[in-house]
Amino acid sequence: MPGTMSPELMDPTNPPSTEHAGLKTRALLVSVFTIATCGLIYELLAGTIASYLLGDSVTQFSTIIGVYLFAMGVGSYLSRYFDRDLIARFIVIEILVGVVGGISSPVLFFSFGQIQSFRVVLYGWVTMTGILVGLEIPFLIRILEDQFPLRDLVSKVLSLDYLGALAASLLFPLWLVPQVGLMRSSFVFGVLNLLVAVWTCHLFRREHGRPWLTAQAYAALVLLLLGAVYSDDLTERSERLLYEDPVIFSRASPYQRVVLTQRDGEVRLFLNGDLQFSSLDEYRYHEALVHPGLAAVAEPRQALVLGGGDGMAVREILKDDRVEHVTLVDLDPVMTDIFVDHDGFAALNDYALRSPRVELVNADAFVWLDADAGRYDFIVVDFPDPSNFSLGKLYTTTFYRRLAAHLNPGGVMAIQSTSPLVSRQAFWCIVDTVRASGLQATPYHASVPTFGEWGYVVASREPFRVPERFPAGLRFLTPAVTRALFEFPADMAPVPVEVNHLNNQILVQYHADGWDQYSRTPPPVSE
Amino acid sequence: MTRRTLLRMGPAAAAAVAVRCSSPPPSSPLDPGRAGITGAIVGASHATGHRLREGGFPEPRETRDVSVIIVGGGMAGLSAAWKLSKSGFDDYALLELESEAGGNSRSGRNDVSAYPWGAHYLPVPPPEAPAVRELLEEMGMVPSYGADGEPIYDPRHLCHAPQERVFVDGAWRDGLSAQDLLDPEGTGTVAVLTEFEAQVRAYRNYRDASGRRAFAIPVAASTTDAEIVALDDISMRDYFDRAGWSSEPLRWYVDYCCRDDYGCTLETTSAWAGWHYFCSRPAEGQYLTWPEGNGRIVQHLLDRVADHVRTGMLVYRVGTGGGPGSPTGATEVDAVDTVRGTAVRYRARRAIYALPRFTAGHVIDGYAPPGAPDAFTYCPWMVANLTVSRLPVDAAWDNVLYDSPSLGYVVATHQNLRIAPGPSVLTYYRPLSVPNPAVARTWMLEQRWDDWVSLVLADLSQAHPEIESLVRHIDVMLWGHAMIRPVPGFVWGASRRRAEEPHGAIRFAHSDMSGISIFEEAQYHGVRAAEAVMRDLGHAHTSSV
Ligand SMILES: Cc1cc2nc3c(=O)[nH]c(=O)nc-3n(C[C@H](O)[C@H](O)[C@H](O)COP(=O)(O)OP(=O)(O)OC[C@H]3O[C@@H](n4cnc5c(N)ncnc54)[C@H](O)[C@@H]3O)c2cc1C
Repeated sequence: MPGTMSPELMDPTNPPSTEHAGLKTRALLVSVFTIATCGLIYELLAGTIASYLLGDSVTQFSTIIGVYLFAMGVGSYLSRYFDRDLIARFIVIEILVGVVGGISSPVLFFSFGQIQSFRVVLYGWVTMTGILVGLEIPFLIRILEDQFPLRDLVSKVLSLDYLGALAASLLFPLWLVPQVGLMRSSFVFGVLNLLVAVWTCHLFRREHGRPWLTAQAYAALVLLLLGAVYSDDLTERSERLLYEDPVIFSRASPYQRVVLTQRDGEVRLFLNGDLQFSSLDEYRYHEALVHPGLAAVAEPRQALVLGGGDGMAVREILKDDRVEHVTLVDLDPVMTDIFVDHDGFAALNDYALRSPRVELVNADAFVWLDADAGRYDFIVVDFPDPSNFSLGKLYTTTFYRRLAAHLNPGGVMAIQSTSPLVSRQAFWCIVDTVRASGLQATPYHASVPTFGEWGYVVASREPFRVPERFPAGLRFLTPAVTRALFEFPADMAPVPVEVNHLNNQILVQYHADGWDQYSRTPPPVSE
Repeated sequence: MTRRTLLRMGPAAAAAVAVRCSSPPPSSPLDPGRAGITGAIVGASHATGHRLREGGFPEPRETRDVSVIIVGGGMAGLSAAWKLSKSGFDDYALLELESEAGGNSRSGRNDVSAYPWGAHYLPVPPPEAPAVRELLEEMGMVPSYGADGEPIYDPRHLCHAPQERVFVDGAWRDGLSAQDLLDPEGTGTVAVLTEFEAQVRAYRNYRDASGRRAFAIPVAASTTDAEIVALDDISMRDYFDRAGWSSEPLRWYVDYCCRDDYGCTLETTSAWAGWHYFCSRPAEGQYLTWPEGNGRIVQHLLDRVADHVRTGMLVYRVGTGGGPGSPTGATEVDAVDTVRGTAVRYRARRAIYALPRFTAGHVIDGYAPPGAPDAFTYCPWMVANLTVSRLPVDAAWDNVLYDSPSLGYVVATHQNLRIAPGPSVLTYYRPLSVPNPAVARTWMLEQRWDDWVSLVLADLSQAHPEIESLVRHIDVMLWGHAMIRPVPGFVWGASRRRAEEPHGAIRFAHSDMSGISIFEEAQYHGVRAAEAVMRDLGHAHTSSV
């Protein structure tokens, strides 16, 4: 209580019996190590789950660590307000940490997708865990205060604390994530906290003198053990909640969370929860992206694809025998690995990325382009929509000028340009930006059921003529259909817009306006 | 000076540096919450002033002859060298105290990015500053010209969007202008803003009988009409009071601008200087910036003049003539090599003195400043470079905090074109403007590295609670005499107006001679001094200014 100046360490009516003191002290020191390990594991779990669910692991980890450390500070501060019954309170805290930390994985997994503001739950839970964990060490130090001189005590407790942290940081990546899984790990470490509670209950029976505390500790222990046993089942249920269809693959890369789902032969790819393609109609999107431009090139020998690590655009390009070499540049090796190595997924792009005509590069497009000396006859630009300032840089005059410098005479570029129906200003802004970069821009569009009306721009130095002949094996494009793609109905007709430069990035604003109005998040569909 | 550079330099150098560095040795933090943050107080030699005052330098044992000697390798000195070299005048040397030239425009680099230690941007130059344009063309910043013949700057180097944001009332707002800050509901604020903006336009469009602007860059091209010059008699605060502009956000904004450009507050900036900030450049002006800030310009200049530059040379005496037999109008410059501890005497026909003017009384034989003796005053600054494991969310280039004595931070990696998130360097600026430079300077030199780290993190955490977990490394630079202060009466006072007058064979060049610390002024004075010297010596050249 505020105002009570010298806190009693243990209940003065129950002084520690000397024969037990050694054992108790040792038990408490083991507790320090255990709770330090558990504390760090909860933090790592929250960071990993947040990265898995929200993508962008650097951001997630940094903010979670920040909030967690801050909450621990709050906990440590709050510890001053407890001055009696330290043992009993320590046991209560252990029970709480065990339960809150132990069920953190299921809570986070199940609340995502169920609850509107997942981040509130995430940071709320992390804060709660942090505060509780922050209380633990100050309590233990005060309980042990009488047993050692301060200097020894601090050195013992802190070194065990750091050792525990070391153990956690090694166990987590080497054993827990690959072998035990996120769901079960959280239960297992909750159990460890409860074991601390249980043995403290027994050893300090006389000090706390509250049998119901022991009962509570056992009850919580049983609960978490059950959770640990059934965690596989829980994992499956939680993933089913996230996606409409069963998840057949999921992995978090440093850049994004890659998830594939499958139902009755339809495979869908999601990046950070946003649909990238459905295997049912992706051929429409990719045929329209590649062939109008490619077929218009007289001698397309060298091709370049920027973005599009799923290999679908490359598959379309390889249908044209005149193409000798395709360079595919995609940021994320996790993406390209899946579509090279995994037989089931590689089948979707006809094993295009295994072709000897294809060269794979994992790099950041603008930086790569600046360093590349190649010249290409056909270039596909298939980046995610310009939904932030980083991506917006890949739709600027500076970028298109740089690209144009890599285009051989007679060459053509095809650029995915978001939906002219949903974000009309954004679409025409891309068209005008290509024109302002000294190129001819010819806009067109196609209908892709899972996406809606989708827009593209072909950019070339010479005037563009819609081609009449296409490679064999197309399911969507015919010469007549292709001609129609270049007609724009009134509701997608040009609107006056500004050009997108690096120093205004007006496109990001247009894009956000369009998609906000449509009250959907780009690209097309999200959970 | 980091510990590592100290070790690499060997014992003699370390001793020399130890004399110069009054700052305490870098200490590593023990605070467990901050475990893992490394760094030190680096650079800048604060004890130089003491040494210059106390004297006791070794006698020069070696004498060298050159036609022209440039003292000081900041932007002014380097620009003088640039002009000499460009004009085919090669018999000169430049002496710089620090181990790297550049002065207030120096920069650093680590494995994440290059970053500025002082000056970090350059506005696209107005037509009155042809030398700036000439330099930028030389640097390849102008790939093409518009139909009107006006240069089109390379968009890679124009500051990318989003440029600015300000943290106010617990949230970030895009943009940083009076308009972005004002609460449209606030009573009277809209009217005040309209009046303020009308005044900006009026001063911006002002032309005197000979076509000069009210506030020009360089300052020397400004009108001398009494009506405009009289603004220098009062402070910006007085101006606001007289105009009846009481809007808090507007005052904050103008005070911020004064702190940002001059290290002065609304109270200590002359109204002339205050309006100069708003009215000397075109509306919607763009600016050029690089990861290393104006360090990019330093490097460009060095690429051309490095052969003439000697670093680690502390100039402690500049004298006129040397005994019988020495050519008339000659000068001699004595400097001590801070690495070897030996002194050298340079004999030259002309000297360009490109140090801040407050040093002149201690360095130049028989120098008596025109006007008041201590008219040149300077604001100290603290600059910290923070290496972070990732950028704070949605960071703009310039990120300003409303409730803070600092100016916020600038992102060194802002101009990079990657989409992958990654680590960055944040440059944190803090002018030490109150209560006065002398007290602030003393206080500044008493703070240890840990103190600065606590201060910076506490300030930034109001907007970024997680900042401590992002920071890996913090280096701190303390600038004792960072920027000339355009206090009321300084810009149009006799001391500054007559600062260009030569002293014997010595010509002067430094940004403080304009009363306004910006690159354009430093360059103007450097180039002007170089041209004057070439005129004196009969060397043909074309003028850049
Ligand atoms: C924190 C900060 C931020 C700034 N930001 C900007 C900005 O964004 N844009 C902008 O245009 N300007 C900015 N400035 C202003 C900057 O000062 C000028 O742009 C320019 O660098 C000034 O150059 P200078 O040559 O006049 O002076 P200085 O840089 O002061 O040059 C003087 C030189 O003389 C050397 N020297 C000193 N004593 C001796 C001696 N005894 N012997 C030998 N050498 C000596 C010094 O080491 C230094 O190199 C900033 C300044 C600071 C401090």
